[in-house]
Amino acid sequence: MVESIVSTGLAIGCIYALIGITYNVMFSASRVFSFTAGTLGMLGGVLGSLFIAHIGMPVAVGLLIVLIAGAAFGIITEIVAVRPVLKSLDQHLYVLSTLALALMAQQFTAIEWGTEARPFPRLVDIVRGGFDQQFWLPMLACVAVIVGLELLYRYSLIGRAFLAISEDNYAARALGLPERNLRMASFALAGMIGTLAGFAGGEMLLAFFGNAPILTFYGFVPVALGGMGNNRGAVVAGLLLGLFQQAANFLVGGIFASVAVFTVFIIVLLVRPEGLAGATLQRRV
Amino acid sequence: MSITRRQALGSAGAAIAAGGLAKPAIAVNEPIRVGYLPALTGPSSSTGIGINRGIQLAVQEINAAGGVNGRQIELITRDTQSDPTKAVNGAAELSHGQNVSVVFGPVNSGESLAVVPLLARTNTPQVHPCWVDTLTDPQKYPMCFRNAPTNQQIGGAANRYVVDVLKRKKVAVISDTTGYGTASVNAYVPMLQARGAEVVYQGNVDAANPDLKPELLRMQSAGAEAIMPWSVNAGFLSRIINTRGNMGWDVPIVGQTTLGSGQTKALLEKPEYWAKVYPNNFRNVCYGAGGKLPERTTAFVDRLKSTKIDMGDTLLWWIALGYDSPRMIVEAMKAVGTEPKEIVSYLNKLKEFPGVYGDITFGPDQHNGYPDEEVVMVEANSLKDGAFNLAPGYSS
Repeated sequence: MVESIVSTGLAIGCIYALIGITYNVMFSASRVFSFTAGTLGMLGGVLGSLFIAHIGMPVAVGLLIVLIAGAAFGIITEIVAVRPVLKSLDQHLYVLSTLALALMAQQFTAIEWGTEARPFPRLVDIVRGGFDQQFWLPMLACVAVIVGLELLYRYSLIGRAFLAISEDNYAARALGLPERNLRMASFALAGMIGTLAGFAGGEMLLAFFGNAPILTFYGFVPVALGGMGNNRGAVVAGLLLGLFQQAANFLVGGIFASVAVFTVFIIVLLVRPEGLAGATLQRRV
Repeated sequence: MSITRRQALGSAGAAIAAGGLAKPAIAVNEPIRVGYLPALTGPSSSTGIGINRGIQLAVQEINAAGGVNGRQIELITRDTQSDPTKAVNGAAELSHGQNVSVVFGPVNSGESLAVVPLLARTNTPQVHPCWVDTLTDPQKYPMCFRNAPTNQQIGGAANRYVVDVLKRKKVAVISDTTGYGTASVNAYVPMLQARGAEVVYQGNVDAANPDLKPELLRMQSAGAEAIMPWSVNAGFLSRIINTRGNMGWDVPIVGQTTLGSGQTKALLEKPEYWAKVYPNNFRNVCYGAGGKLPERTTAFVDRLKSTKIDMGDTLLWWIALGYDSPRMIVEAMKAVGTEPKEIVSYLNKLKEFPGVYGDITFGPDQHNGYPDEEVVMVEANSLKDGAFNLAPGYSS
C-alpha cells in the first residue's frame, strides 16, 4: 500500500505541480490566472497519442511537435483571451475569457478526437513493471522543468527580463523592455510546460478530452496552497496534494477521496489565505 | 380574341377543380415519408453509424420489393450530431415541416430524453432503441415504442449470469460518478440482493481516477467473487481490467457492453487481461456452440456480405437493430396504412415480429418490446466480424 501511495502519489503530484507552474508562469507575466492550464495538459496527452501512436512519429519528434503546439496555444491564449482584458484586470474578466477558450478547445478535442479515452504510447521501450515509466516519467519532467526554469531565470537575459516584468511591469516597460513580446514568450513557455505535463503523464491519465477540467481544478490547488506566482511552493504543494489524494484513495476511497482533498484545501486556505509559502501582501495606507 | 372576366373566372375555376380532382391520384403514388433521427456525426455517433448501415439496407430492400402497397419509402434523415438540442430541432421539423408518418430515433438516450415528449405532443408515432427506462410510458407517451431492451433488462441479465450461471454470491458493484453510473448501481444492487447475492462492495468512483488499485483491494478484502462495473467510459473500465490483471486476481468482470468495445481493448496493458470479461449482448447476434450464428442471423450476414456492408468496424447488433426497425414499421403500414392512430393501434398488438436483433412484442400497456431472455452475456475477447461468442454457461 505504501509503495503504491508513494509511486502513484508522487507521479500524479508532479503532474499537478507542472500544471501549477503553468498557471504561475502565465500569472507572473500578466497578473492573469489563465484557466487554460489544464487544457494544455489535456492537449499534451491527446496530441502525443495522435502524433506518436496514430501517425507513427518517433517519440522525440512527437514530443517536439507537441511542445511547439503547446507554445502556439499559449500565444493564442495571450492574444485572444488575455490581451483584450488586461486593461480591466480588477473586473476579473480574464476568468470568463480564459475559461471560454479552454472550453472551446476541450469541445473541439471532443468532436475531433472523440469522447473516449485512447491509449497513450509507451515512450521508453522497456518491460512494464514495478516502478514503471508511467510513474517516473512525470517525476523526470517535473525535475527537468524546475532545473530549466532556475537556469533560465538565473543565467539568461530573457529569464531576467521575465523576472523584471513579473516584479513590476511598469518599471520594466519604463526601462525599455518589450513587455508585450515578453508576455507572449511567457505564455509560449507556459504552453510548453503544460503540454509537457500531459505528455509525461499520458500513460497514467490516457489521451482523454475529459482530463482538461480535472487538471484545471487539481492544478490550481498547488497554486493556491503554494502561493500565487511561487513555483517552489507549487511544486511542494503539488507533491503533497498527490500523496494526500492517493492516501485518501486507500483510506476512504471512492468519491470521498475527492471530498477529503477539498476539505483539506479549504481548511488550509482558511488558516493561511496567502498559501503555505506565500507572502502576505502589505497594503499601503 | 378577347376574354371576358366571366370566361377567365370560369377557366380558373375549372383549373382549380381539375387540380383538386387530380390530387388523390398523385397521393396514392407519392413516397411515404419516414422520419429518421440518427447521430451520424459527433462524439456519440458510433452507434448511429452502425445502425444506419442496417437502416439503409432495409429501406433499399423494401423499395426494391415494391415498397408499401406500391408506394416507396422515403427516409427523411436529420443528423442529430450527438446533440440533444439538434435532435429536438430535427424532430420538430420532421413532425411539423416534413409531416412524416412515423419517426425512428433518436438512437442515443440523451437525445431521446429531449425528443420523446416533443413527438408525444405532436401525436407522431415513434420507435426508438434507447435503454433509459423512462423513455417509454404508454400513459404519457402512447405513440412511443422501444424495440430494444431497457436498462432494467440489461442489469437483470448481468445479475442472472453472475448469480445463476456463474454461481457467485459475493459481488462487488462499482460505477463512475455519472448519472448513468450511479443510477445503475442504485437500481441493480437491490435486484442482485433479491436474487440472493451479497453485495460486499458498492462504490461510485471518479472515472478519471488514474489508480483504481485501492478500490479493487477493497473489493478483494471484502471477499468479492465477481466485479460488476457500470459505466460507458472505456478508460474507467480498462483501468478496472488492467488493475485486476496486474493484481493477478482471477475474478470475472460482468457488466455493460462497453467492456467488449474496441476502445476498451485498445487501452488494455496486455491482451490476455480481456479474458473472463463478460459484457452484455444479444443472443440472436452471438456465436453459439461451434462458432455459428442463429440461422436467421446467418442469412442476414450473408446479405450484408453480398452488399459489401462492413461489419469489422462496428457491432452486428447495431446493424441488425437498424435493419429491423424500418421493416417493423413497414409491416404495420402494409397492414393498416399510414395514419398515425392506425399504426399505433397495430403496434399495440404486435406479436413476435421476427427481427434479426430479436423478436419484438408490444401490448397496449407494454411498449418495451425486447424479450428478457435474449439479453445475454458474451466473451469480450471473442469479437469477430462485429459479433461475440456467448459467455460460458449458456446453451446456444
